[in-house]
Formats: sequence, C-alpha cells, structure tokens
Amino acid sequence: MKGMSRRDLLKVAGAGILIGAQMRSTSFATPVKSQGRMLPPPKGKRVVIVGGGWAGVTAAKYIKKEMPSAEVVLIEKRKIFMSCPISNVWLGGLVEMDFLMHDFHTPASKYGYTFINATVLDIDRSKRRVYTNEGYVDYDYLILAPGIGYNYDAWFKGDREMARYCATRFPSAFIPGSEHIALKRKVHNFEEGTFVLVVPPPPHRCPPAPYERAAMIAYVFKKNGVKGKLIILDPKNDIKPKGPGFRNAYIELYGDLVEYVPNAKIKEVDPVNKVIRTTAGDFKFDDANLNPPHRAGDIAWKAGLVNPKTGWCDVDPLTLQSKLDPRVFVAGDASSVKGFPKSGDMAHNHTQTMVVKALVALMKGKDPREAVKAPTNTCYSMVNGDPKEAIVINVLYDIDLKKGTVVKKKVNVENRRSKQLATATFEWARALYRDMFS
Amino acid sequence: MDRRSFLKVCTTVALTSPPLLYGVLRAGESEFKPYKKALLVNKDGKPVTPEEIKPSKEYIFFYPYRSTPCLLINLGRRADPVEVETKDGHTYLWRGGVGPDRSIVAFSAICTHQLSHPTPSTTFINYYPEGKKAKIAKRDLVIQCCAHMSAFDPAKGGKVIEGPAPFPLTAIVLSYEQGKIYALGTLGKEVYEDFFDVFKPDLRKLYGSSRKARELVDVCTVLEMEEYTEEIVRC
Repeated sequence: MKGMSRRDLLKVAGAGILIGAQMRSTSFATPVKSQGRMLPPPKGKRVVIVGGGWAGVTAAKYIKKEMPSAEVVLIEKRKIFMSCPISNVWLGGLVEMDFLMHDFHTPASKYGYTFINATVLDIDRSKRRVYTNEGYVDYDYLILAPGIGYNYDAWFKGDREMARYCATRFPSAFIPGSEHIALKRKVHNFEEGTFVLVVPPPPHRCPPAPYERAAMIAYVFKKNGVKGKLIILDPKNDIKPKGPGFRNAYIELYGDLVEYVPNAKIKEVDPVNKVIRTTAGDFKFDDANLNPPHRAGDIAWKAGLVNPKTGWCDVDPLTLQSKLDPRVFVAGDASSVKGFPKSGDMAHNHTQTMVVKALVALMKGKDPREAVKAPTNTCYSMVNGDPKEAIVINVLYDIDLKKGTVVKKKVNVENRRSKQLATATFEWARALYRDMFS
Repeated sequence: MDRRSFLKVCTTVALTSPPLLYGVLRAGESEFKPYKKALLVNKDGKPVTPEEIKPSKEYIFFYPYRSTPCLLINLGRRADPVEVETKDGHTYLWRGGVGPDRSIVAFSAICTHQLSHPTPSTTFINYYPEGKKAKIAKRDLVIQCCAHMSAFDPAKGGKVIEGPAPFPLTAIVLSYEQGKIYALGTLGKEVYEDFFDVFKPDLRKLYGSSRKARELVDVCTVLEMEEYTEEIVRC
C-alpha cells in the first residue's frame, strides 16, 4: 500500500475489492470520516500513541508517570500483546507461549491511560486527527509507533498475488502472531531436505534475530534427527552482530546441519518452484523462512512521514521528533537513528529516555533536546537449547548536545556462550514485561 | 510515619548516639527513612561480627521487610561518607561504611531499573569483590545486575556507574554498636511498593500472602549469597 493516499483507499473500497486482511471490509463500506468522534476535543496535553508494541506501551506508561496531567490514549489493533523478543526461544521450544503473551488492560488501568482497541486507518496531520475503524481521535501530540512492515514489493514488484502466496506459504514471522505459530509448526514438522532461512538486508528488525532463529531451528533439527540442512542466505559479508558467538555455535553445536552463505543478495524469489536466486548462487529448498526487506509500518506511510528513499521515518536523533512534523514523535523500529538497532530493548529504552523526556519537556514549555538522557541497549541471543546457552551484546550511548547526535560510548560483547547468560536472557525479558505490563 | 515524627526519631537517635549526629541529621533532611532497628545475626542466631564478613564474599539479609533482600559487603577498605546524586539532580549524604575499619556497607539488592533481585533459585544482581572483575562493567568492587547491565558503586553510596538504572540502589543505614551490627533504615529512593506490587504471586508463594511478605523485621539472618540461591549469574 506504499504511496497510496486515503482517497485511493476509499476508491478501492468503493469498488468492493478486498485489500488486506487486517482492514475489515465493513470499515470501508462506510466512509471513515462519517464515523464519530471517540473522545471529547483535546485540551492541549493529549498524546495519542498509535501502536501498542514495545515502544507504544512504554510511552503510555512513562508519559503518565512523568506528567500525570497529560491525557494519554493508546490505540492498538491487536486484541492481545505477543512479544517478538524471545519468540525465537519459544520457536526452539524452550519457553511456553504464555511467556510471550500480555494484556493491554492492566497497565492502562494502573497508570491511567486510555486504551482503544481499534485499527488506525489514516492520519490527517493538518487536522491532528487519527481515523480508526471505530471513529476518530484528535491529538495535540502524536507518538507513532507502528513497528515494521514487510516490503514484498522488493521481491515481487507489485505482484500482490505472488506476495500473498509467499507470505502465506513461507511466513516471515518478524511481526508477532499467526505467522510465528505457522513457522514453529514448519520447523518442528520438518523431517528431511533443505530448509532455507533468508536474512533480510539491513536495516531490519532485531539485527541478531535471524542468526538466533537459525540456531534455534538447528537445535530443533538436531534434536529431531533431521536428515538435511539449514541454509542461511545472508546478503551481508558476515554475521553481525555477535558474529563469533553465532559462528562458533553453528560449527560446534550443529556441524553439517548449518550452512552459512555470505554475500547472498537476493536476485529472485520463486516461492512456487521453491528456488531462490542470489549473488552467491541459486538455492532450491524444501521449506523455508523467507524474510523480505523491512520498512516502516504502513500507517507511517499513510501519515506521509516516511522517507521513500530509505523506507524509514527521518527523525531528530535526540528527541525522535519527525523531521517533517514536530508534533509527531516516531518511537521504536519505524524511526531511523544512526547507531540504534531496531529492537525491543532499544525501543523500550529510547522511548523512555528520549521520546518521553523530550515530549514531556515540550508540553512543559522547555527545551526537549536538553531533557533527553542517553539510552542503553542489551540484547541476548539464545544459541543452544540443551543445555540452554546464550551470548550477549550491550551498548552504552552518550549524548552529544552540541552536535545534536547520540554516539556509542561503550560496546560490550560476550561471544562465549554460557548457561548463565541463558538464565539472564529470561530475566532480561521478564523484567521488561514487568515494566510494561504489570 | 509523617515528617514530624520521623524528625523526632532522627533527633532521638542523634541524641542517644552522638557519632551518628552528623550523618543522620543530614540524611534526615533528605531521604533517611527509619524502620525497625534490626540486629544482624549469623546462622547460629549469634550477632554477626565484622570479622565474619569476608571482603572476598557477598552476603544477603532481608530488611526492612522480611521479603526485601539486601547485599551486605565488606569492601576491605574504608568507605567515607559521600554525597550521592540521583539522575534528577537531587542529592543526599550517604554515611559510608561501619565497623572497626568503616568498611562494611549494605544496599537493597533490588535493582532500581526493573527490580531484579536474588531469589532462592537465581540471582542476577551481585557484588564483584576485589580481584573478581565484572566482565561487562570491566571492574571489581562493583554491584552489577546482569538483566540489563546496570552497575552500581558500593563504595560511593550505591550510585549508578553505568547502565539503564535511573537512580542509585537504596542504601541500608547500618550502625556498629559494641561489636554488633544493626540495620536502622534506608537512605535514598525506595522501590518497595513497586516490588510488592509486581512480585505478588512470587511473594505469596514464598511467604504465604502479601501481608506476610510486608512484615517488618527486627532480626536479620545473614547468609552467604551461595547459601541462599541456587544459581548466581555473573556477567
């Protein structure tokens, strides 16, 4: 739906063409604008947050904590929260799904923000208005936290039927939900042959995730005595980050089960004949996890805030305010800040230390840039299932107010996998779920 | 306890115990919060002596509530009082170490970032004694939490060295009187209310009910960390 205006959308809807599973056809039968106002007009301190992922849920809580007088509205289309971080560990069968699932209602009730379970259809920035399938909400400030979208156009050049075929049969599972369950079934049912995992080109959600996923798939294959191999097709020339940690795990734990292929830039994906043509050769597969390139979530495109050259939202690197609209902050994966990985931890961290601090300062009439604090980022990756073993990277940042940038101050990497780091992986997650949901 | 009665307590403590005068009064102006005065005892129920607290180890006790863990540390060197600055620019005076060498300190073992703390199965927040460097913080004489890599300085009132922790560890105010060590209260920002709220199910399992978990103690048994927890996670 890249580049499609609201008018185009309505036209399409009028023609009765179904254009996407998440958009209910009933929403389009009635023009969006005729649906009613959902909340009274804002009084100057209403923050509407679009997207209840790691960034959005964190923003809602901390704005209320830092400025109780602010009116905070969180709009999310999912009925239940499912965590993408730790989903690879779940894919490996090392944790129950319960671990990943959380409710939106407890924190909304505890911290006093409004939770609206609706799908955002459009954003009119001139009116400061967010349209949903349930009606519209006006804002004084907007936090856009839509996460990522899949750019199947990069592979199928607008052939939506082929994109849907690929997404249905070889789901990416980088956006939590049904796709993850489908992938898990594939992995656990695989008996023999070649299973391909395509690493998306950077920048993509969670840089180490494809490699961690490969390790977990290899662990399941090893446990199940699979006769075959997992081929990792990476467009980069090496595994990054935590390269030595992943490489050693592949070699030492999984041997011939894993084949890592660098410099494999995608030339053509043929999901029908199960062939991938790359700059490192052609690969036939029996089953696969096909991950197209990522870009900012659809609603960021509709809001007109995405730089089409990069596919991400340009923001001030300190405040994460959109460069196109200072009333809009882009939190989480959809924004583009040099040196920030797109990850749950980073989203949680920069939302709390930068976005919320800046926005609250702005609402108090202070300089938002001076209010922001330096974030940190910690990312564990599970590489073995029996015993559970993990590796970790931890980055500390510094703020350069003069240059208006954030720079890496210290990078710690522990590539020696250990049981202790695996134990810490679970506490890393539990602690952040506690922060967002309890 | 309101501010008036709390100042009364401070004054009483100060009058009865002259060496504490400066520290408690200064602290009282900011963040000192007295709880029950509690004697620190060893496994045999006898008062813990400073000699029993080895600089090469880390110890745990529960204070001011029976469910809130604290780290007891002998730094092996004198720890002087120091102004502790929170990240929001607020300061308070930490009183330094107690004991004959003024080297014994105590802090709440609940990480101020996301409340990770020692449990009977695991602990992620630990003291790294001299010669046992934390890999992530790359130093010893540090308290580090491996959940998200916050590091605190036990010789400087528990202030944040690095990582996402928003403020210092809550300090436990100790006194050393006639060879015995007592806990008197806390200094700095507390996280107990969040702790009781977030860990309700775990506390119910360990103590029977939230109310029981909130019982204040007047005797604290000191254990080596490895005696208390099955797995110590260091990083």
